[in-house]
Amino acid sequence: MSVVDDEDATLRERLTDEPGPALRVFAVVAALVAVEFGALANLVMSLPWDAVGTALPGFVQGVAATLAGVGDALAGLPTLLSRSVIDNAGYQLPSGEWEGTFMGLSPAIAWAIRVVLIYAYGFVWLLVGWWSYLVYRDNYRHANWAPVDDMVGRFRNHSWGLFGLAIIFAFVVLAVFAPALGPTTVDANIADPYLHSIEFYNEETGSVEEMYVGDANGDSQSRGQGGENVGPLSYDQYDRFHPFGTLPSGKDLFTFMAAGARVSLFIGVASLALAGGAAVVFALATAYYKGLVDLGIVITSDSIQAMPQLLVIMLASFVLSGTWLANLYNGGVVLALLFGLTGWPGLWRAVRGPALQVSEREWIDAAKSFGQRPSVTMRKHMLPYVVGYLLIYASLTLGGVIIGVAGLSFLGLGINAPTPEWGRAVSAGQPYVATPSWHISLLPGILIVIVVTGFNALGDGIRDAIDPQSDVDTGQQDQSAAAGGGA
Amino acid sequence: MAADSSRPDADAGTATEAADDRLLEVENLQTVFHTERETIRAVDGISFGIAEGETLGLVGESGSGKSVTARSIMGLVDSPGELLPDSSIRFDGRELTGLSEKQYERVRGGGVAMVFQDPLSTLNPVYTVGNQIEEALSLHRGLSGMDATEKAIELLEDVGIPDAARRVSEYPHEFSGGMRQRAVIAMALACDPDLLICDEPTTALDVTIQAQILELLAELQEEHGLAILFITHDMGVIAEVCDRVAVMYAGEVVEQAPVVELFENPRHPYTRGLLRSIPSTQRGADRLETIEGEVPTPNAPATDCRFAPRCPEAFDACREVHPEPVPVAAETADEGADHSAACLLYPENETRGQAVERHTSEGETTGAGAADSGGDAR
Amino acid sequence: MSRPGPEREATGLAGLDCAPGEALLSVRDLRTYYDSGELIGGQPVKAVDGVSFDVRKGETLGIVGESGCGKTTLGRTLVRLEAATGGEVRVGDDDVTQLSGEDLQAWRRNAQVVFQDPESSLNDRMTVGEIVREPLDVHDWGTPAERRARVRSLLEKVGLQEEHYYRYPHQFSGGQRQRVGIARALALEPEFVVLDEPVSALDVSVQAQILNLLMDLQEELGLTYLFIAHDLSVVEHICDRVAVMYLGNVMELGPTEELFDDPANPYTRALLSAVPEPDPTAEIDRMTLRGTPPSPRDPPTGCPFSTRCPVKIRPDGFEAVDDETWEAIEVFRETLRARGRAERSLSERAREFLGFETRFATVDEVVDELFADRELPGSVREPVERASDLARDGDEDAALEHLRAELGSVCDHEQPTAHGVDATGRESRCHRHDDEYDEPAAVGPSVGDAE
Repeated sequence: MSVVDDEDATLRERLTDEPGPALRVFAVVAALVAVEFGALANLVMSLPWDAVGTALPGFVQGVAATLAGVGDALAGLPTLLSRSVIDNAGYQLPSGEWEGTFMGLSPAIAWAIRVVLIYAYGFVWLLVGWWSYLVYRDNYRHANWAPVDDMVGRFRNHSWGLFGLAIIFAFVVLAVFAPALGPTTVDANIADPYLHSIEFYNEETGSVEEMYVGDANGDSQSRGQGGENVGPLSYDQYDRFHPFGTLPSGKDLFTFMAAGARVSLFIGVASLALAGGAAVVFALATAYYKGLVDLGIVITSDSIQAMPQLLVIMLASFVLSGTWLANLYNGGVVLALLFGLTGWPGLWRAVRGPALQVSEREWIDAAKSFGQRPSVTMRKHMLPYVVGYLLIYASLTLGGVIIGVAGLSFLGLGINAPTPEWGRAVSAGQPYVATPSWHISLLPGILIVIVVTGFNALGDGIRDAIDPQSDVDTGQQDQSAAAGGGA
Repeated sequence: MAADSSRPDADAGTATEAADDRLLEVENLQTVFHTERETIRAVDGISFGIAEGETLGLVGESGSGKSVTARSIMGLVDSPGELLPDSSIRFDGRELTGLSEKQYERVRGGGVAMVFQDPLSTLNPVYTVGNQIEEALSLHRGLSGMDATEKAIELLEDVGIPDAARRVSEYPHEFSGGMRQRAVIAMALACDPDLLICDEPTTALDVTIQAQILELLAELQEEHGLAILFITHDMGVIAEVCDRVAVMYAGEVVEQAPVVELFENPRHPYTRGLLRSIPSTQRGADRLETIEGEVPTPNAPATDCRFAPRCPEAFDACREVHPEPVPVAAETADEGADHSAACLLYPENETRGQAVERHTSEGETTGAGAADSGGDAR
Repeated sequence: MSRPGPEREATGLAGLDCAPGEALLSVRDLRTYYDSGELIGGQPVKAVDGVSFDVRKGETLGIVGESGCGKTTLGRTLVRLEAATGGEVRVGDDDVTQLSGEDLQAWRRNAQVVFQDPESSLNDRMTVGEIVREPLDVHDWGTPAERRARVRSLLEKVGLQEEHYYRYPHQFSGGQRQRVGIARALALEPEFVVLDEPVSALDVSVQAQILNLLMDLQEELGLTYLFIAHDLSVVEHICDRVAVMYLGNVMELGPTEELFDDPANPYTRALLSAVPEPDPTAEIDRMTLRGTPPSPRDPPTGCPFSTRCPVKIRPDGFEAVDDETWEAIEVFRETLRARGRAERSLSERAREFLGFETRFATVDEVVDELFADRELPGSVREPVERASDLARDGDEDAALEHLRAELGSVCDHEQPTAHGVDATGRESRCHRHDDEYDEPAAVGPSVGDAE
């Protein structure tokens, strides 16, 4: 741990004084970004376009289209872990060799290699994040110890929380790198199958032929009855590898799921940002001002909570279907808004308690006594204590939102075709559950369970990390016990 | 769990009663707490006794281990805390340290009862006060129904709560602070204990209410012949209530004496410092005398004097030899005044070298210290 | 001393610049009531109920009392943490309770608070340096570098070290945290500091350190302290003058030494006699007060101390009644008051209404027990019986009113005014200071250092 002698130095001064460690971190980050620049650019550019592109008025559309074009160009830049480098689309010659795949490996192995490399890349990002925290703490932070150090330490020892973190990590990587993780792309396989084509080796004619993806899909349907099934981890008759099998329409299930993960994550995060932001602002206002402000917000939130959330969302999405709002992201934005607007009362209720508790502490009085402005008091003195609880409840709520969206899609009320969504997969596979095509419903269902459990576990871990008086064996609790409760 | 029969000061002129006759006899009590980082020795080898009808005061600041002592006697120390095997607590001739929870339950209430500091947390807010007293009565005296209620009303009257017949069906939150503490005392007395442990019972109360409670305790002690272990940090209360006093510092008893003797003739530098820093003993002084520094958290076995870093009279040997309680000449004319202090300055009629040797050898006898400086001490 | 911060004169709180010994603050008939919290009706909590005193520049004025007497509310009202309901607090020409805007900011700069609980008065998520620097940031004091330097010098002044700037409160002990709180209060160089039980939560040996520090700082910086405490020995040591509060009223006010030597007011006498003396050989001759303090929602008419006063004046015509009977009457009144305050559940109210017995029907037993073996003269027995009739029907208020009318003295009917009791300007509120009655010191056990 290096000690910076002049404690007066600001962060900038400290950085210029000892730039070494920081530069190393930046170098690694730059390298990571450069390697996958295209994929990351694709994510950044495509999401807003998907979400709001079609709704923009005419002239703005033109500007936006140019930006999108730029984005596409950037996305077209060569990236390391992409399908063009590690390709799994090819065909098998009678001699047993594979043509067109990465290094002649079978599509399954090529795909597996790409998946492993992408996850490794994601894991390196995690490590870099951890490393940069350590560098900051050891070199550039004034204080030798801060409360966040203890929290991080407690989280590191919390196995259930780490398990949750692992699952969420897997989920987020799936969502971020969806185009690269699937055996094919959404465009090629699901959205515009008749605009793309594949090559395959026709044994009858003994030559390589081309056909539309749509036709190939037609021959790879999973419909349960004898013979017509492409199960998990198997090839269809055109030598395409399907890690999760195919849908009744013949489209690849894994690609569908990966793209669906993006949608779920977007809706979850957007609705939580809305609900959580509103909840925090209201909770702080309630706790600081109390009285009438509290009364007003209580009445409002109770009114909203009195209505059954899912029914309201169904009703509202039905009413709004067909409007421009509903076309954004194929209903994704509407759902995000609705979940946010109906979800904030629950979150607010949850953080209202801790906020009120914090407002009773004497340091709030102290801040008032020397004339601190209410907004600054709320931000500096109350918010840090509320954020932890918000994270806990937000992680639980996120799981709930994902299930809710899946459920609505299952009923046909959520995300409309062709945007993929897990619930629609479950619904599509429903008639075939007891047949050899069980994978269509079961795999998305299991994934939903795993992801929601992961969020719950993460919430548990965060709660135990921020609250030292929890049941987890911690030194804090024992210290107070040893002191005999303070006497 | 056999108690160490060779008591270190057996030959040094002990109390008027022989050791076994006292109601409570605590010997070499050691209670430790195991945390992730360290083991905290909250109580590190203390010995004292209480005779029937006597009031012993246990005084010390926060971190001295007095509350943990009380809980150890009551058997309320749970993991991660434990009593070390050498500890001995004998109540009414019976060894308590090895008892199971069920056996301990029989001792609690009927033998030893405890009054805690905060009546709000002792009383269950969802049950009426009468209900809680009746629960204690049914556990220990087998009373139930109307008998129990009548007895509960009687107990509430005994502790001076007016209008007891109405109050018995009220909830704790309807009582004021002083009333609540009276109700807690009534609960403690419900089973006619022989020893009452009071852990800072009046610290949270106003001074006029405190006066009422102290008066009440004195009355009850006389009526029921109670022995009381009174834990507090307030020297004024000690002076008023106690017959004998034990001063604790960092898990050890540093001085024990009858109360008049302690106030007139404090021997241990910590006791002296404590008495000097009380504002009421320093009327007219411009600046208060203080003890510099802070109370340490004992996390290693004591191999030296824990007070040495703050002691104005410390010398070199203090950092090497662990002081044991040794008898100290009494100045008051109390026969059998059993005044002992754990300090290398005593016994004052020996030279430093002899005193250090004595402490070292006694430390080795009880096995409490690991000092091996032997005769090389100065 | 040169202050790079904003100048004080521009804001117009000229009253702060008076000479030492002159009145810095003049509190006149200050009242602070809290709303009952119920939407309809309900009685307000009269935390401070008509308080008047001066605070002289450079002195330490102690406010002493038990819980519920309003001393904390008084301190908070003076620094505008609570809004006063009535009365005024004068600083020169300005009334602190009415200030707003720039003037209020000026007052906030000059009146600071040190809080009681070191665990709760510092934000654990901020470093000590940030905590002490925050008042300077709020008032835009100097440049950032100057603020850091000032914080460092403050930390040293209160006995901490400069490198503690970047530590978190969690890493300090209670006494050290309290030092940080003191440093924060001194950051803006205030004139007036309210110390709200600053040492109550600390150990005895640490208390002494902090008290010494406070006294040193007062001398060095010329501060004026309002020292709120419930520990009388601490107050005796550090305060120049003391005000004793009970139920929102100042019962006695005067120089410390005289007040402790020879307290004039019965409440002060009871308070002092209740403090345990650290001298085992001293005889305990205590005036033990009966019962519990009344609720501030419903203070007694007349003298606030009348319900518990051990030397309460007897009404005319009842001198022959013996003390024990009179005591029994007072206990009866106290019991009725407690019943009046008791919560009646809905089912109990219904039963009462329908004439069934509830736990409140035991009035007769209470009366029997209190007055069992006594010969009550008619003048006493009639009011008692009438009152118990009223109480049996559930109307405690009427019973109390009847007893007050029949058996009440001047203490029950009139609020006492402040009487001067000696040459040092000490004042005390008690009817016994009127010439027609005996002084409290003449009635009851002797109390005080001089006796």
